[in-house]
Amino acid sequence: MSIFGAVNFPPIGEVLNWKPFFLGGSALAFNKVTLTAVLATAITFVLFYTAGKKKALVPTGVQNVVEAGVDFITNSIVLDIMGPDGLVWLPYLCGLFFFVLINNLFEVVPVFQMPSTARMGVTLPLAITVWVTFIVVGIKKQGFASYFKHSVVPSGVPGALLILLVPLEILSTFFVRPFALAIRLFGNMLAGHLLLITFAALSEAMFAKSISLVLLPLPFAMLTVLTGYEIFVSALQAFIFTILTAVYIGESMAGSH
Amino acid sequence: MVSILLAASQSSNPILPASGEIIWSVLSFFVLMAILAKVAFPPISKMLKDRSEKIRGDIEAAERARNEAELDRAKAEAQLAEARHESTRLMDEARKTAEVIKADLVKRAEVEVVEMRQRAEEALDAERQRLVYELRGDIADLALDLAEKILQEQLDRSSFDPLIASFLAESEASSK
Repeated sequence: MSIFGAVNFPPIGEVLNWKPFFLGGSALAFNKVTLTAVLATAITFVLFYTAGKKKALVPTGVQNVVEAGVDFITNSIVLDIMGPDGLVWLPYLCGLFFFVLINNLFEVVPVFQMPSTARMGVTLPLAITVWVTFIVVGIKKQGFASYFKHSVVPSGVPGALLILLVPLEILSTFFVRPFALAIRLFGNMLAGHLLLITFAALSEAMFAKSISLVLLPLPFAMLTVLTGYEIFVSALQAFIFTILTAVYIGESMAGSH
Repeated sequence: MVSILLAASQSSNPILPASGEIIWSVLSFFVLMAILAKVAFPPISKMLKDRSEKIRGDIEAAERARNEAELDRAKAEAQLAEARHESTRLMDEARKTAEVIKADLVKRAEVEVVEMRQRAEEALDAERQRLVYELRGDIADLALDLAEKILQEQLDRSSFDPLIASFLAESEASSK
């Protein structure tokens, strides 16, 4: 029997479709994914609440982490992309960033080892929320007709090309954006999750077959390296999701093209 | 609608979203946004704003203090320069005054010397005059003594006084 024959790789449905803890069979089925989403909410709230209560002049601990995050989002996302007018969106973007980041980080938390963002059930509603937000902001800031005109008609383009470009812009702005946002986060987190499972399953198989113990360090080292890499990917994907949200809302506020 | 959600919740395709996950994640996210906006974020926002204002205030205070120190330094330098100038002026003035005093003292000393010399000459003249008178009396006495010895008789010395006086006056006049 070959080494790979001994690998007990679970079926894809088993690592993504988690059994409900309660309310099983109903539309409100509560499983590991929903638990991580709820925990991400609770952790984000506790982080912000604790940081807000400390009010130390020189921040340390939780206050330092939250302030560094808020400062990073303020300077690197809001002010850079949206300008000072975008500061009203700071709480929304901070909440979004920390929510996505903590959901992502559950990928490397023992026992959980599952990012809820590796499920379309979490990323799609988030992307749709962003989609609704930037459309509503655009309509409120520019007016219905003006917003849609600015969104789908690129300025300075010859009339003949508009026949081609307008449908593309409609497709890009109003259909592709939310799905790209959702699928990018979902795909990256799912790929990372499957990679970690693959190397964990391989390590387990090596360990089970004592003859292959000499090879065990290879997949185990890879598993360790990938765990570190996935922490980086978690932060990167949270940043990308937040910065794209800021770009879309910023465009709606200013009037794109 | 419920049947659709139920169907989604039991979806066999692992990629498709399950209704429970959609509902709980939407609920979680909206609850998070609400409590962040109302409860958790304002204190942090206020704290960051207060700190920024404090840092700005501290920087401005430091800038003001630096400007004041700069002004004080400039003022002190001006005072120092003025003091140096004043001391130079006082020294020049003292030097000039000393020179005037010195010149005055020299002049007064010279005048005094001249006066002392004059007084000494006058004293010498008076002494010489006195000696001449004494000598003249002695000469008259000697001449009369000599005449008595030659004549072998006592002479009336008072009767010769005008003659002796006239002789001495003539000899004095001829000696000048």
